[in-house]
Amino acid sequence: MAGLTEDLVLGVDDKIEGFQNKNNNNSNSNNNNQKEVIDKEGLGVRGEENSNTNNNQGGERDMAPPASSSIHRSGSRPQLDLSKAAIQGNSEERDPTILLPNQSDDISHLALDIGGSLIKLVYFSRHEDQSSDDKRKRTVKERLGISNGNRRSYPILGGRLHFVKFETSKLNECLEFISSKQLHRGRIDSHHWNSEAPANENAVIKATGGGAYKFADLFKERLGVSIDKEDEMDCLVAGANFLLKAIRHEAFTHIEGHKEFVQIDHNDLFPYLLVNIGSGVSMIKVDGDGKFQRVSGTNVGGGTYWGLGRLLTKCNSFDELLELSQRGDNRTIDMLVGDIYGGMDYSKIGLSASTIASSFGKAISDKKELKDYRPEDISLSLLRMISYNIGQISYLNALRFGLKRIFFGGFFIRGHAYTMDTISFAIHFWSQGEAQAMFLRHEGFLGALGAFMSYEKHGLDDLMVHQLVERFPMGAPYTGGKIHGPPLGDLNEKISWMEKFVLKGTEITAPVPMAPPGTTGLGGFEVPSSKGGTLRSDASALNVGVLHLVPTLEVFPLLANQKMLMEEPAAYGKLGLANLLELREECLREFQFLDAYRSIKLRENEASLAVLPDLLLELDRMDEEARLLTLIEGVLAANIFDWGSRACVDLYHKGTIIEIYRMSRNKMQRPWRVDDFDLFKERMLGSKGKKPRPHKRALLFVDNSGADIVLGMLPLARELLRRGTEVVLVANSLPALNDVTAMELPDIVAEAAKHCDILRRAAEAGGLLVDAMTNTLDGSKENSSSVPLMVVENGCGSPCIDLRQVSSELAAAAKDADLIILEGMGRALHTNFNARFKCEALKLAMVKNQRLAEKLIKGKIYDCVCRYEPAS
Amino acid sequence: MDLLAAVSNQQNSQPQSQISHLALDIGGSLIKLVYFSRINDSCRDNDELRSHNESLGVSNSDTSQPILEGRLHFAKFETSKINDCLEFIRSKKLRLGGFHDCTSPSSDKIFIKATGGGAYKFADLFKEKLGISLDKEDEMDCLVTGANFLLKAVPQEAFTYLDGQKEFVQIDHNDLYPYLLVNIGSGVSMIKVDGDGKFERVSGTNVGGGTFWGLGRLLTKCKNFDELLELSQLGNNRVVDMLVGDIYGGTDYAKIGLSATTIASSFGKAISDNKELEDYKPEDISRSLLRMISNNIGQISYLNALRFGLKRIFFAGFFIRGHAYTLDTISVAVHFWSKGEAKAMFLRHEGFLGALGAFMSYEKQSLHGLMVHKILPRFPISVSSAGDKIYCSLNSDSNENEGIECTVYGM
Repeated sequence: MAGLTEDLVLGVDDKIEGFQNKNNNNSNSNNNNQKEVIDKEGLGVRGEENSNTNNNQGGERDMAPPASSSIHRSGSRPQLDLSKAAIQGNSEERDPTILLPNQSDDISHLALDIGGSLIKLVYFSRHEDQSSDDKRKRTVKERLGISNGNRRSYPILGGRLHFVKFETSKLNECLEFISSKQLHRGRIDSHHWNSEAPANENAVIKATGGGAYKFADLFKERLGVSIDKEDEMDCLVAGANFLLKAIRHEAFTHIEGHKEFVQIDHNDLFPYLLVNIGSGVSMIKVDGDGKFQRVSGTNVGGGTYWGLGRLLTKCNSFDELLELSQRGDNRTIDMLVGDIYGGMDYSKIGLSASTIASSFGKAISDKKELKDYRPEDISLSLLRMISYNIGQISYLNALRFGLKRIFFGGFFIRGHAYTMDTISFAIHFWSQGEAQAMFLRHEGFLGALGAFMSYEKHGLDDLMVHQLVERFPMGAPYTGGKIHGPPLGDLNEKISWMEKFVLKGTEITAPVPMAPPGTTGLGGFEVPSSKGGTLRSDASALNVGVLHLVPTLEVFPLLANQKMLMEEPAAYGKLGLANLLELREECLREFQFLDAYRSIKLRENEASLAVLPDLLLELDRMDEEARLLTLIEGVLAANIFDWGSRACVDLYHKGTIIEIYRMSRNKMQRPWRVDDFDLFKERMLGSKGKKPRPHKRALLFVDNSGADIVLGMLPLARELLRRGTEVVLVANSLPALNDVTAMELPDIVAEAAKHCDILRRAAEAGGLLVDAMTNTLDGSKENSSSVPLMVVENGCGSPCIDLRQVSSELAAAAKDADLIILEGMGRALHTNFNARFKCEALKLAMVKNQRLAEKLIKGKIYDCVCRYEPAS
Repeated sequence: MDLLAAVSNQQNSQPQSQISHLALDIGGSLIKLVYFSRINDSCRDNDELRSHNESLGVSNSDTSQPILEGRLHFAKFETSKINDCLEFIRSKKLRLGGFHDCTSPSSDKIFIKATGGGAYKFADLFKEKLGISLDKEDEMDCLVTGANFLLKAVPQEAFTYLDGQKEFVQIDHNDLYPYLLVNIGSGVSMIKVDGDGKFERVSGTNVGGGTFWGLGRLLTKCKNFDELLELSQLGNNRVVDMLVGDIYGGTDYAKIGLSATTIASSFGKAISDNKELEDYKPEDISRSLLRMISNNIGQISYLNALRFGLKRIFFAGFFIRGHAYTLDTISVAVHFWSKGEAKAMFLRHEGFLGALGAFMSYEKQSLHGLMVHKILPRFPISVSSAGDKIYCSLNSDSNENEGIECTVYGM
């Protein structure tokens, strides 16, 4: 687990510098980072730097990491598909438009939902599909017997769905956003904006909502695109069905401040009532895909809340108004049953004294004027009035059609706890517990998503097959492209990133305090405690993530009790934290810091690789038993490095890395806090002269770049290879902190292999060194009868790993594995510490966080964990 | 105007008429009074009345002659001005309309039937100021009793209102039930009525008359409900509401049956403009508010009627006040959502159901003689005085001050 504050800041600063350089001097891509990157690119698959450099000049340097070798293979390059080409319109015209019906790349991957108050955008950005079919992967696939090649040939290989909203009144900002991101140009492959710009004369954007009609001309005029109008209800339903089926944990209930995700049974989804609360409210009975009926609606919706709220409070935005409500006390304005009955309940008909008899009913009898009321109270009263009303009408409609499930979407809700509680309460109250209100995390984007789905040829009909992964589950509301995430860095913060995120996570996931149940009658319909300070400040944060399209994600097959883990997500450890870290990485990516640590990682790798030969020599002089201990110590020692990374980097430059490494290793006094080394040793080396059989295949989940991978995990891998165990290095698909990625590993291995025959032969056998090494190692083929060393990506972009969602590659690689080694805090402790596997597992980590040390192992910071578990 | 004349006449003729049987409905916003006054010729003095009561308490069935003849009067006060109401009761000696506790005839305690939350809240005040004990009747019971009484006993009580046309509905006494009674006071109660005393409060909404008045006051600085209601007649809600046409650039969303003028979002236009509250005309705001609330009540009422298969929906309560636009909006809402299947009907004595019901409940105690065998509705003949402070415009549609002339037969 990587993670020092200084590290991050360093990385970000570097990046900002680089970013500005690039902006200032677009044509010159030779800033330092760039240079270093290219220089560094020695032994990987080479030969395509040129195209990368060209692309980088297009302003998207980070979209095309130079180490990537395969982006522009013909398979993924946009090509003109001229089949069935036809001239559209009058062919007598000059320059008639040519219609290319099969030109899928030309389709815009942007869809809009232009409502009365808000414009919702969904757009797709493609992953720089660096590794999709490089040699490494191909070989791995052959070896692992994966044959999902046809999916790879789709125009969309992997990418992200982004969700952004704008106020309709600020349409210009939206147009600018689209134009600045070139979303209307219809290129899936953003690298080719410049080169192929003219091909988009007749670009078409799918749009829904009333504004699709109202603003069609404006879009034509300003962006030169035509709006293809999709029916609003169609889109809402398509979007909702898609989300409910494709996104894990999309729907949830929210009762008295408690949020709980709902498992959706795809075979028992229909019928349901969809209530979309936008400016107004639509209620749609959904019976299936494309089968629905708008059965009702109400004109008292989000626009009413905002409109009345604005008139009454002078708030400047919906969110401000919503936030005000959190500190409000509606009792000063609403007439409660108790106010009429002199503080008593009207129990005969089930109305408690705190039930609202008449919203705003108290504003009549007082001598007070508008200015005498607190805006907070007004906002809350308004919110309750509208939420409750919507809940009631929804319930009545559900009842009418016998629908048990009611899903609420639309931008009124905004993940606002109180709104959801009020609606839930109304449903619960009126249905006497029979019906349940459920909410959607992508609540506001149903229509836009539906419009997006209506593109026929973007390949996204495949989305249902693809698993979508959210990288952003804790959610940052996008308004006008602005991201409100956790703070990205504070120079002088002394606490580690981990602690900061744990803190943030606690805030975000903490339930909103409510009046203790039972104090006043009906529970959920009570006023929240009016102590504003205790209410979480960011309750209005949208739980909207960027959806990643990853070809396939599966449950890691070696999990011992998958069912249990499905039912008890907490068994994975701190998933909330994992989500937060994902969020952070996603924020950085969104700001174009696609790999903020690139330069640091490269420096560390270089420094570590420089001392690797010495280490290997030293290791080879030891006997087997001492070597095994040294190797495990080495992994733990190297794992500590990321704690003091900056000091470490300085030391690297002075060439004393090996000394630090040894020093650190010497500090590893056994017994460690969790110390199963003897068990592991016995399994590896046997006891009393009995030689145990070696493992067939080991999966090594690697952590950081630099010393961690080079001096810790690679030597361990080498030892396993030497013993005849196939080794699969499992690394992140996307960058996260200074974690090494599957993309980067082949280069590191190749560099290491220069100094080590075992690694070289294994890397060749594993297909990591095919092209690069054939020239220098003539005739080596016949020697490479070694067991292979392979690299697979895990499907994640986080320092943690959720083993419910791993890449198909990893799932396939796991098939024959009989040993798993999880390394680092994120993968071995924060998540998966308690996970049980069907094969042997070794969990290695240095605890670099006091809290975690206390909680998990009742130890201290810098304690070591070496946990060995036989197959369960 | 005749009605006004009748009012003053009524007040002047106070000495000749004898008050009996006062009942109150003390709601969150308004106090409603119903009381009975005998006409001169059947006038008896207090002692007579008392002895009559007492005798009835002992043996209750020897005459079948009309023993009381007179008028039912209706009056209302704002709850916040309860002192005016107390004063009114005092000045009119209405307290004599109460009854004595028949279980302890010697007691001097006078009871008056009352319902609504205020019957609980203000019980002590009545005791203290007037020496009256409030005999509390259940609010829903009273509403239903009052409605059943009106629907059965008063011809031309119920009417429909569509496109500005008021049309009285003939109520078939044998085919009255079940119906949905929607009482729109500060809040709204929806009661499924299956017969006399047979009913269930099935729903309600907190968006009611109090919401209109409360929000309206904050938004327009109107001094009272009626002023606000009057403003709405001059307003244009399109300035404030977001219509389907506003979203769709002037076109209908025909596919789902929404015309360009359908309100998509009440007050939805107040968001996008750069206008402040003072830039909007109070008339427009009032209109928009009225439509929002009326429409909402109409919709929820319809949905509840649908749920129980009720074809008739009667709307009552002081929110309506015979206001044409309110009547129209509710009617349209019910018509729209039911696709013409259900009809909204209104009651002329809309505001006094609860008070009437409380009044009717005297029969259960000791006044069997008040059981209404027949009402002689020489109607509209006389008008009670209303609380002077809360006059609404006395246009011809306004029915709340009408009295009902009736005869009460003994058993």
